Amino acid sequence: MERVEAAVVAESLSKRFGALLAVDNLSFALEPGTITGFLGPNGAGKTTTLRMLLGLAAPTSGRALVLGRPYAQLAQPALRVGAVLEATDFHPGRTGRDHLRMLGEAAGLPRARVDEVLRLVELSDAAGRRVKGYSLGMRQRLGLAAALLGDPELLILDEPANGLDPEGVRWLRDFLRTFTAGRRTVLISSHVLAEVAQTVDQVLIINRGRLVVETSLDQLTARVGGSVRIRTSEVEKLIAALRHEGIETSRSNDHTLLAHGTTSERVGDLAFAAQVPIHELIAESSSLEDVFLELTSDPAT
Amino acid sequence: MSAQFRAELLKIRSTRTTLGLIAGMIALTLLFSLLSGLLTKAPDLASAENQRGMLSVGSLAGVFAALAGIMLITGEYRYGTIRPTFLFTPKRSRVLEAKIAAGLLAGLIFGVLAETLAFLIGYAALAGRGIHLALNGSQIALLLLGTFAATALWGAIGVGLGAIIRNQVGAIVALLAWGFVAENLLFAFVPSAGRFAPVHAGDGFIGLTTRHLLDATAGGLTLTAWAAAISLAGITLAARRDVN
Repeated sequence: MERVEAAVVAESLSKRFGALLAVDNLSFALEPGTITGFLGPNGAGKTTTLRMLLGLAAPTSGRALVLGRPYAQLAQPALRVGAVLEATDFHPGRTGRDHLRMLGEAAGLPRARVDEVLRLVELSDAAGRRVKGYSLGMRQRLGLAAALLGDPELLILDEPANGLDPEGVRWLRDFLRTFTAGRRTVLISSHVLAEVAQTVDQVLIINRGRLVVETSLDQLTARVGGSVRIRTSEVEKLIAALRHEGIETSRSNDHTLLAHGTTSERVGDLAFAAQVPIHELIAESSSLEDVFLELTSDPAT
Repeated sequence: MSAQFRAELLKIRSTRTTLGLIAGMIALTLLFSLLSGLLTKAPDLASAENQRGMLSVGSLAGVFAALAGIMLITGEYRYGTIRPTFLFTPKRSRVLEAKIAAGLLAGLIFGVLAETLAFLIGYAALAGRGIHLALNGSQIALLLLGTFAATALWGAIGVGLGAIIRNQVGAIVALLAWGFVAENLLFAFVPSAGRFAPVHAGDGFIGLTTRHLLDATAGGLTLTAWAAAISLAGITLAARRDVN
């Protein structure tokens, strides 16, 4: 197999805050040129992971590499990696242009580049105004402009669609699709799969700091479809019976499981044949979001 | 001039914070210079001690320089620009060193503005009231240059203090509580220690002759040592701590 150096690597990455293990032995690798959705509920450890990747927080253990090195050891990081962690990282009394200029100065970029990225995110007209007069959508775009200043090959965005109106989300989606198109590696975090489903090729789902699944969007989509929710006193026995017939199951708790890609009639017949008592049998049709919620729901609830 | 230093200067110039501080500093300098120049009784103003006091009113710029230094770093934590700043320059010591250099320069400018103004007003008051100048040329040079240098050092102290405390209000309160309360109490009750504290070391540096103060050389070295130590602590902590 051809070895391509991964653009982003997490190696047994962990971060502990006191008693809380925010990121728990997380490992993954992203190939260059891919657009990856980094998904999980709020508090799953996404932002902490991104901070470690970007050298803002030190891992408790493990390693975080971008473009083959720890972020802080990249020679000219602003020219290789662009990142937006918060949509509000601006001094309210500074103009949008000055915000970009001060970052451009630090990276030694020509001043003309500031006007280029302002045009790119459609903020040229507002660039001379102080940021406190900007809408949330404009701030998001200014943050994006800062990330793009150095024309980076890797773009890392933390919840870029958070708080945006539908039009803003569409703008962002179109922008990422046309702008990145195969030339850049992109990692976008979100707690809502739908926000990124039309943009990403693969997803990385974490919950409680642990990797739940790393899969292509196609494979995730394949899980969408009919499923049957069954409540029974003999979960194990039913799982075995269904599996014997090639039906995939996932367990929700001690008494409930989901049978995927099948019908309530078939599950009922099989349960009868296996002599498993059924307390409840509900046919459910799931969406991509359901699949996501199911993957990230806690087994205890 | 390093790229990071240019970036830090642009940060200072691109908000109104610094202008506000300069305006406040000029207003206070004018007020105190005019009050002491016009209202002090002529016999009192004849003493070298009191002339030094009046002509060094501009040393109040130290507080404003320290505030400007505090703003330069705590503003980044407060508004979150510390994240893009450290993303663009992940060698954090480079950012902090540039900020300290910018704090020194801003402080120097503050000191020159305020002290030149205070000296001109005080000198004009003495001349206008026909009071003989009791200080010689080298004493005046020490007063002026010492105040310029001390104010520059306070700019660096502000950056270091801000990097240590990070919270803007916390850093400002710490500065004012130390400079206006704690240090005065220390000097009043334990002058042998208080004279080594930064504000009083600065007073010695510019040639003030209050009892127990250090002489100019020792005062200058002590204030410089404070600025170096606080700056170094700020650089070290900023480099080590996680950014939220």
